[in-house]
Amino acid sequence: MLRIKDLCVSIGEKEILRGINLEIKPGETHAIMGPNGSGKSTLASVLAGRETFTVTGGSATFMGKDLFAMTPEERARLGFFLGFQYPVEIPGLTIVNFMKAAINEQRKYKNLPALSSGEFLKMMREKMAVVEMDPSFVGRGVNVGFSGGEKKRNEIFQMAMLEPMLAILDETDSGLDVDALRVVAQGVNKLKTKENAFVVITHYQRLLNYIIPDIVHVLYKGQIIKTAGKNLALEVENKGYDHFINKK
Amino acid sequence: MKEYIYMPEVRRVFRCTVPDENIRQVFLVDGVLQEEETEKNGIILKRGPEEKGLYMRVQGDHFGETIQIISVRSEDLPGPLEFTNKWELEPGAGIQIIVCDHTLNEHLYQTSRFSKIILGEDACLDILFMQNENIRSHYRLDLIANLDKGSQLDCHVLSFYGGIINNKLHAVMNHPEAVCRMDGLFLADGEQDIKYDISVDHNAPECYSRQLFKGILDNHSRGSFNGAIKVAPGAQKTEAYQANHNLLLTNDAKITTKPQLEIYADDVKCSHGASIGRMDEMGLFYLRSRGISLAEAKMLQQMAFVEDVLAGIRTESIRERLEKMVESRLRGEFKKCSNCTMHCC
Ligand SMILES: Nc1ncnc2c1ncn2[C@@H]1O[C@H](COP(=O)(O)OP(=O)(O)O)[C@@H](O)[C@H]1O
Ligand SMILES: [Mg+2]
Repeated sequence: MLRIKDLCVSIGEKEILRGINLEIKPGETHAIMGPNGSGKSTLASVLAGRETFTVTGGSATFMGKDLFAMTPEERARLGFFLGFQYPVEIPGLTIVNFMKAAINEQRKYKNLPALSSGEFLKMMREKMAVVEMDPSFVGRGVNVGFSGGEKKRNEIFQMAMLEPMLAILDETDSGLDVDALRVVAQGVNKLKTKENAFVVITHYQRLLNYIIPDIVHVLYKGQIIKTAGKNLALEVENKGYDHFINKK
Repeated sequence: MKEYIYMPEVRRVFRCTVPDENIRQVFLVDGVLQEEETEKNGIILKRGPEEKGLYMRVQGDHFGETIQIISVRSEDLPGPLEFTNKWELEPGAGIQIIVCDHTLNEHLYQTSRFSKIILGEDACLDILFMQNENIRSHYRLDLIANLDKGSQLDCHVLSFYGGIINNKLHAVMNHPEAVCRMDGLFLADGEQDIKYDISVDHNAPECYSRQLFKGILDNHSRGSFNGAIKVAPGAQKTEAYQANHNLLLTNDAKITTKPQLEIYADDVKCSHGASIGRMDEMGLFYLRSRGISLAEAKMLQQMAFVEDVLAGIRTESIRERLEKMVESRLRGEFKKCSNCTMHCC
């Protein structure tokens, strides 16, 4: 589904990712861990199409297509989803209008007719229930005045609406209390199928108690320094990153 | 800012319940009223001095009607035109006015309107100006409103098309407890030049005023905003707020903004602010990452920018139509009357 080869990424003169190799197959769940500043968000943003970063080397294919040849919206329509570490506030744009635009563009791309207002609102209600989001949120400005937890729920809600093939969740668990964490994790687990795939970027083992990864990667200074099964997350939690860094 | 609720109950529920097709329409062609002097439902309409302009008087107790004043320029009179309107609400009267200014073709019309508004005690006027001429025309509105005790003015000015648009809006509050809200939106592209001069005089205590003006400027367009709030000595408990925010879509578009406050009373709440910004790159990326095209994302961001100005239009059916108009104006689809949703021509 996603294959990344020798990916190098810079911002200005600064090299941030230094040769990333990663393959994600349908049905898999990956976890990426790593200390602050190691490049996790950069990797996620570059894959989503953020233009402030420059790809200086390597390649990536998604659903058989050259990822970097596509605009962010084309990637999204093909089924790529990024759950932002810092979701963006858009005052004046309601969640309902935002999602209506997103769903209609997606349906247009799939040659499906636009949803009626009734169908759309029903879908909104169902998906909000998945993340236990209060229905009153539909009329609020996107992320405006939301608490940290509400912003993250809103990311998972959008993911539920768009039903992506591959979702990368960038520290969706940071700043969440145990209840919110459970809701977010349940949301992911409900959406999980044999066809789609998830990448969770996290610092903590605790999310991985709810979302069990098949493969765990440790990213350090722009390189994946270790890849193993789910027990690697426990090892990171117990021994810290230094353990792996020193070994390398 | 918290919504100011001052008016007694009846004022707060004032809304146009007239179905759209029942809105009374009054036509001015090249400044000349197209009907005889009438008195209907407590509203007197007649021509102004030299047979030009519109004189309107709304009698007390008359409440709730909507009048649409459609003022067009035609090929019959290609030269510059000036005329004077006088609109007067007797004490206790309430009315909603929609003014639609058009030109019937792309000729370089020059039109100056001097409009005088007089609000009697507790009178309530909701007025909306739709400035939609053509890309060459010179449009000028010179408005002065006098607010008596306890009266309320809600004024929205939407500048869509006009080569040069000059709006001078002046509100005078010589009596206590008046409420004056003036909001506006200007959307400029090409070589358009849009100018607003706003002044609000607080000459009596316990009055409230607020202005919220937003501009979106594309291409080489120019904008200018001058605001002046004056609070006279003795005008205690004044609340006066003014804001002008602008979004520039290109490097060539220019705006100057100057909100000013002159305060000679000490027990007042006043603020003013201005900003000039560009599209939010991070916001655009966020929208695009959900599959929304760049063009649509820009559109959503612009609509989001003007949302609070439109939200201030209380009559829902009119607000919805204006939202559509703003959207099609921003999409550049809106150069002809036929795309206008105000159903006037
Ligand atoms: N916009 C930016 N400008 C300059 N440096 C940046 C920018 N974004 C990220 N970086 C740098 O890139 C490195 C990786 O950051 P990031 O991908 O956010 O790490 P992580 O998500 O793993 O904490 C850091 O050193 C950070 O300072
Ligand atoms: Mg990060």
